[in-house]
Amino acid sequence: MTQLLEIENVTKTFGGVTAVSQCSMSIREGTVVGLIGPNGAGKSSVIDLVSGFERPNEGSIRFDGREIVGKRPDQISRLGLIRTFQTPREWRDLSVIDNVRVGRSDLERDSLWRAVTTSRKLRRLEEGETGELRDLMTHYRLDTVRNQRAVGLSGGQKRLLEFARIAAARPRLTILDEPMGGVNPVLGERIGEAIRELKRNGSTVVVVEHNLPFIERTCDEVVVMDLGTVIAQGPFAELRDNKRVVDAYLGNDDE
Amino acid sequence: MLQYWTAILTEAAIFAILAMGIDMIWGWAGDFDLSAYAYFALGVYMTMVLTIGKPHAPVTYVFGLHLFFPLAVVLAVVVVVAFAAIIGAIALRSLREVYFSITTLGAVWAIYYWVENYTPLFNGYNGVYGLFDPLGGGLSYNAYHYLFFAACLIILLGVYLLVSRISTSPFGRMIRAVRDDESAASVYGRNVFWAKYRTYLFGAGLAGFSGSLFAAYIGAFNPLDWRPTEIFVLYAAILVGGRGNPKGVVLGSFIVYVGFVELTRYIPSPAARPELGPALRQILIGLLIILMLKFRPSGLIPERLGGDGTEGRRSWRTLFAKRTLESKDSDVALGAVSASGVDAS
Repeated sequence: MTQLLEIENVTKTFGGVTAVSQCSMSIREGTVVGLIGPNGAGKSSVIDLVSGFERPNEGSIRFDGREIVGKRPDQISRLGLIRTFQTPREWRDLSVIDNVRVGRSDLERDSLWRAVTTSRKLRRLEEGETGELRDLMTHYRLDTVRNQRAVGLSGGQKRLLEFARIAAARPRLTILDEPMGGVNPVLGERIGEAIRELKRNGSTVVVVEHNLPFIERTCDEVVVMDLGTVIAQGPFAELRDNKRVVDAYLGNDDE
Repeated sequence: MLQYWTAILTEAAIFAILAMGIDMIWGWAGDFDLSAYAYFALGVYMTMVLTIGKPHAPVTYVFGLHLFFPLAVVLAVVVVVAFAAIIGAIALRSLREVYFSITTLGAVWAIYYWVENYTPLFNGYNGVYGLFDPLGGGLSYNAYHYLFFAACLIILLGVYLLVSRISTSPFGRMIRAVRDDESAASVYGRNVFWAKYRTYLFGAGLAGFSGSLFAAYIGAFNPLDWRPTEIFVLYAAILVGGRGNPKGVVLGSFIVYVGFVELTRYIPSPAARPELGPALRQILIGLLIILMLKFRPSGLIPERLGGDGTEGRRSWRTLFAKRTLESKDSDVALGAVSASGVDAS
């Protein structure tokens, strides 16, 4: 299988603080990879660098073989990469179904010129998709609230809305930043299922998460970070006995 | 009296177009722009100097042409959009919220003092005056104004249809997503600056266009006619009617313009204190903004929420169309069920 995302010797400093230091990892296409590490290990910084929200001081990041350092977040997204944030980021004053429509829609459809000249055609196109979107709403248990303002959803529903939006956008790579934050165990199962569905539908998934049993159940492979760099990569079972990983998580007294 | 009402409603119609432009920038894109009055004023000035002919000393202004009115309108709007392109490129690139507003406030005052003090441009603080007749002449004063009022109403309807078409389009939805969360919008492939910039230029163009209509109506325009602070009257209109809803913005413009700006002229001022009336008007508009924000922040006709067609629409237009919809489309009945919380699908 080909490498979808390759990060090579990436360093990022904020003022005097080195958040990411000579970090390298690669993500194979079609896998679900857990990205774990203690707080401050640089996981979120790596996500910001990959998705274009921050620019590395040095190093290279390739998505599907293409260098993406220096590209804007929207340009990277259009290559097929979608990320989430630690808190759900719904478009609050759009309806739930419109949130998903923005995910589904493409740039060509957003054209101001087309809005003026071919509005009827656009409306027919969107009406034709409504059935598909309603199925998606039902699938993510949002059918009863689909026409409501997204701001009124509960925390768990907002998490599910993120997944519905991603499913509608069909990215090649999905990066989830702590999808289980503030989520109860029952909904947690549903989110695990949603991640496996993303994989089934052809998306590669990177999950940042502190919930290790969840990572073990959901991921094919795990990348462990500490102090801004990758200290181990491999199947979860192998890492359990890795001393550096255990030290990073539990701390050690030798130092 | 009829003339008086024609005059007020003509102005209200023109201001409704301006308000729709400002609402695109603030209501849709979320950018609290304070320079729109400059775009309006530039539209007025440009239209005048392109149609009223050469200046006679000591009056000075640029161009001084006798162009066909529609051509002058097009050129005026082009100039306004060019100005907005410069200001927007600076203000929208990385500034947001209050920083954006301060930048546009700086821009509007810079333009204001430039126009007021640099007489070769638009004759400084004395302003530009001169009559021209976009309807081709041969009409009496009253007939001209009635006809112009009718023309303004038709143009307002046209602009309203255009703006609401964009508002309900994928573009309108996308720009509101950008407004609600820029980072999330860029994660879904949207170029935030370009989305906001296009909306800004379109809104500024509408402001310039409304200025062109105003030019055809007033015949004289000087800096006292466009104090930049008066933009708050337009923001009041947008708040009253419904931010983000073109229908609400038109309604709010008429309510605020007719109800507050004009009718408050009847507040009696004691002879010793002639400034009392105008001051009271400002106070009333301030009070209106506060009360609306407190009790009905989304306005009389709130922003339209895009549903999947089963939500049962709420606006007045569909109040009487509802019954026919129900009989035509069984989905509407489903929508009524899902609205009560028991979804059938």
